[in-house]
Amino acid sequence: MEALSYLKHFKEVAEHEIMHSGHVACPGCGAAIAMRLALKTLGRDTMLIIPACCWAVIDGPFPYSACSVPVYQTAFETASITAGAVRAGLDATGKKGINVVAWAGDGGTFDIGFGQLSACAERNDNIIYVCYDNEAYMNTGIQRSSATPWGAWTSTTPGSDYKKERKKNLLEIMAAHRIPYAASTTVAYPDDLVLKFRKAMSIEGFRLIHIFSPCPPGHKALEKNSILEARYAVESRVFPLYEVEDGTKYTLSMDPPTRPVADYLDLQGRFRHLNKKERSFIQQAVDEEWTRLMHRMRIDEAL
Amino acid sequence: MAQKPIIYKSWREMPLMTASMGDTTINKTGSWRNVEPHHVEQVPPCSFRCPAGNDVVSFVTLAAEGRLEDAWRVLAQTTPFPGTCGRVCPHPCETECNRAQFGEAINIHSIERYIGDLFRDNPPELKRPPYTGKHIAVIGSGPAGLSCAYQLKMMGNAVTVFEAHSKPGGMLRVGIPDYRLPPDVLDGEIRRIVDMGVEILTDHRVGVDVSFQKLMDKFDAVFVAVGFTNSRPLGAEGDDGDDVIPGIEVLRRINLGMKDGVGDKPLVVGGGNTAMDVARSLLRNGRDVSVIYRRTRHEMPAITEEIEELIEEGIEITFLATPVEVIRENGRMTGVKCIRMKLGEPDDSGRRRPVPIEGSEYIIKADCVVTAIGETTDLTFLPDEILAKTSWNIPADELGRTLFSKMYAGGDVADGAGTVTAAIGYGRRAAIAIDASLRGEAIPENAAVSPSLRDRTGYVVPFEEINLAYFEELPRLEPVPLEIEPRIKTYDEVRQGFSEEDLTREARRCFSCGTCPACDNCFIFCPDVAVIKVKDDPDKFYIVDTEYCKGCGLCAAECPRSCIVMKSVR
Ligand SMILES: Cc1cc2nc3c(=O)[nH]c(=O)nc-3n(C[C@H](O)[C@H](O)[C@H](O)COP(=O)(O)OP(=O)(O)OC[C@H]3O[C@@H](n4cnc5c(N)ncnc54)[C@H](O)[C@@H]3O)c2cc1C
Ligand SMILES: Cc1ncc(C[n+]2csc(CCOP(=O)(O)OP(=O)(O)O)c2C)c(N)n1
Ligand code: SF4
Ligand SMILES: [Mg+2]
Repeated sequence: MEALSYLKHFKEVAEHEIMHSGHVACPGCGAAIAMRLALKTLGRDTMLIIPACCWAVIDGPFPYSACSVPVYQTAFETASITAGAVRAGLDATGKKGINVVAWAGDGGTFDIGFGQLSACAERNDNIIYVCYDNEAYMNTGIQRSSATPWGAWTSTTPGSDYKKERKKNLLEIMAAHRIPYAASTTVAYPDDLVLKFRKAMSIEGFRLIHIFSPCPPGHKALEKNSILEARYAVESRVFPLYEVEDGTKYTLSMDPPTRPVADYLDLQGRFRHLNKKERSFIQQAVDEEWTRLMHRMRIDEAL
Repeated sequence: MAQKPIIYKSWREMPLMTASMGDTTINKTGSWRNVEPHHVEQVPPCSFRCPAGNDVVSFVTLAAEGRLEDAWRVLAQTTPFPGTCGRVCPHPCETECNRAQFGEAINIHSIERYIGDLFRDNPPELKRPPYTGKHIAVIGSGPAGLSCAYQLKMMGNAVTVFEAHSKPGGMLRVGIPDYRLPPDVLDGEIRRIVDMGVEILTDHRVGVDVSFQKLMDKFDAVFVAVGFTNSRPLGAEGDDGDDVIPGIEVLRRINLGMKDGVGDKPLVVGGGNTAMDVARSLLRNGRDVSVIYRRTRHEMPAITEEIEELIEEGIEITFLATPVEVIRENGRMTGVKCIRMKLGEPDDSGRRRPVPIEGSEYIIKADCVVTAIGETTDLTFLPDEILAKTSWNIPADELGRTLFSKMYAGGDVADGAGTVTAAIGYGRRAAIAIDASLRGEAIPENAAVSPSLRDRTGYVVPFEEINLAYFEELPRLEPVPLEIEPRIKTYDEVRQGFSEEDLTREARRCFSCGTCPACDNCFIFCPDVAVIKVKDDPDKFYIVDTEYCKGCGLCAAECPRSCIVMKSVR
């Protein structure tokens, strides 16, 4: 039976596989889905630069790799600079048509690799920088990062010491560098993810893709709910999907049917300790951020 | 201190680098799992609820794909009457439809009707097994009898149908009026059964033109499907005049092209389909007709749409009143004395029993009473020893088997279900039982289920298991019925059918509960590349690679229509 085209929501996802089975991501890992979809789009002419993070482990123990493209494992804080250097090497040897992709976690991006990230962006190094964001240092046991959202439990923000600082707004910071392309996406919307990678590939210079990646053990969520969690993150406007071109041109990718933030929080044990007031504080913050984003989108029209 | 000089080396002099030699498929992560996904097909509520046993989801899904002949073939497995049922069935499938909770129920009957009509006059060929050498008699050519004959013929038997009336079809012919079921639709569907080689002997009343015993002696089996053909008497004083006429008799006359024999101002008594049909027919025949029913609208047994259309057409229903006496002057009826009722305790049917309000009698003007307060069987053709074992019906199990060998019964005469679809289902199940017993084989356990549904799990997919993220909330498409003004003057069909465009649009709203259309969600979301797409197998779209599946359950959670179940690993 021919598949019904109208039921095929995800028309853009290619059939061939570049990522292999047998990798060691936890069951239900959003980061694994993200890599699989990204590689399907990037194709074989791709080099991955992975710093210390879950993905450095997921890829498999030496001498095996889950990705049948060259993977360069680098120090925690050096994903962007290493990728920039790989590009310099390729350019020096005259090799063209290769996607140089830095693939780092939120810790490596928002925190320790942040200075280098900013430097590479400022130099407009010709790389695609991907941050798969599971909102904590998962690989080493769920320590807080500056990507961990307000209110979340982590092993370093336990009990009543839950995180009291807000999540850094990575896309805003990167947009402020006026890089040619910055976008947010997540695994619940494969077509969105694929199209953003395609667009990034068509642009030269520093491109950043921020992927929200549910992590069942780190978010204390059910393995089967990873896609649901990602979908709720978007629908509740906790994680808006949008693009910023040249640091100024904002485009909203999806104006989702609004869903209360509570639906999103309820899927995850890391928010279980929050009381009603704290939960409504999150809702309020999310609403404000959304309004701010909507205004920002219209600034160009006003200018 | 002198600085140590920096020595540059060539790449040949560099130590060996750690580089990957192979991929991770060496690592069988399948050992991690304790639950695993299984691709299955489950039962949608529509197919589950169809009394005829139609595989609703399959014909709707095929219609959505534009594969209309295949859709017709799905229907042809279980019913010879898609065009008929698409018009007159009260469609319990739609009541149960999961879409009803997100948008509105799929307009299943209009889809069935379209498919039935499309192939009515040139039906595709169906494969049939060789002649079995068995010959079965069917008494009654209503939907039960003809469904049984159709199935028996498809199984390779010879069948002769005995019908008392001059035309075949039972209540489809002599009960349901033309404005609901146009005669060319019924003729066409019966013609197909005749063309397959089923013999229908009209004007053959068993018990009059041929004896029941003779059929029992001459044929290998006899299926009795004589329906409910007698009208219940009114039970009011003076109800024995010829100005008190049974509704089914009036309908029979109209349907067979005779004079209706009804006065100018008839009062129709009853709240079922017969009452609605006879009242609306008489309106079309130019009579000043009204209806009286002893309970409220809520308790009316007629099909809801029927009641709505009757009211739309301007016929008045008096609720909570019943005739007690027919008033005549000089032998001519001038009115009917009625008494008002109120609802008391629930009766056996679960509906509240109407009780008369003493002293509330009043008179309704009428020159004729048409009774439609229920029908009963006429079993006088049966030999005494069999008749002795009958009551309001002929007792039979759900496969039509009676207390007597070779004798089967089904349709209204057995269960009194009172719907065409139930009669079709009954006839089919009896055919399966008759055929199996004549072949000396065991009766298949799931005889009631459409063959194309038999491989599914028995689980009926509830609404909660539909993943709404993959569907749009779209309204139901409904063909516009004929305008009131022209329609009440003719017998033109009131309800209209779909255009091909609307057919496809409506069919595409279907969730396809429990039915995998190969949407690829399981393939796309698997973090472990462990759902493999199968090519070139019409029955299987995916397999799970158990060497690597970690059992996360994302595929099952993201399956839009409950086609993946997680089972624990043995
Ligand atoms: C006015 C009316 C409207 C209806 N509307 C609907 C509707 O819209 N939707 C719906 O689902 N159902 C409707 N019904 C009910 C439905 O028609 C019946 O439930 C269905 O027809 C029963 O099928 P059957 O084959 O059991 O019997 P029937 O259709 O009653 O057929 C029995 C046949 O047996 C024949 N017969 C009887 N005795 C003998 C004999 N001794 N020898 C030979 N032949 C004999 C009769 O002439 C008749 O043709 C309606 C019924 C009536 C009366
Ligand atoms: C300089 C340095 N400090 C600490 C570590 C230990 N370490 C390895 S991975 C990791 C956390 C990575 O977190 P993140 O970047 O968010 O990726 P995740 O594991 O969550 O995918 C840490 C702290 C290290 N490898 N190098
Ligand atoms: S800890 Fe989280 S991010 Fe890391 S492999 Fe497991 S699920 Fe994926
Ligand atoms: Mg992290």
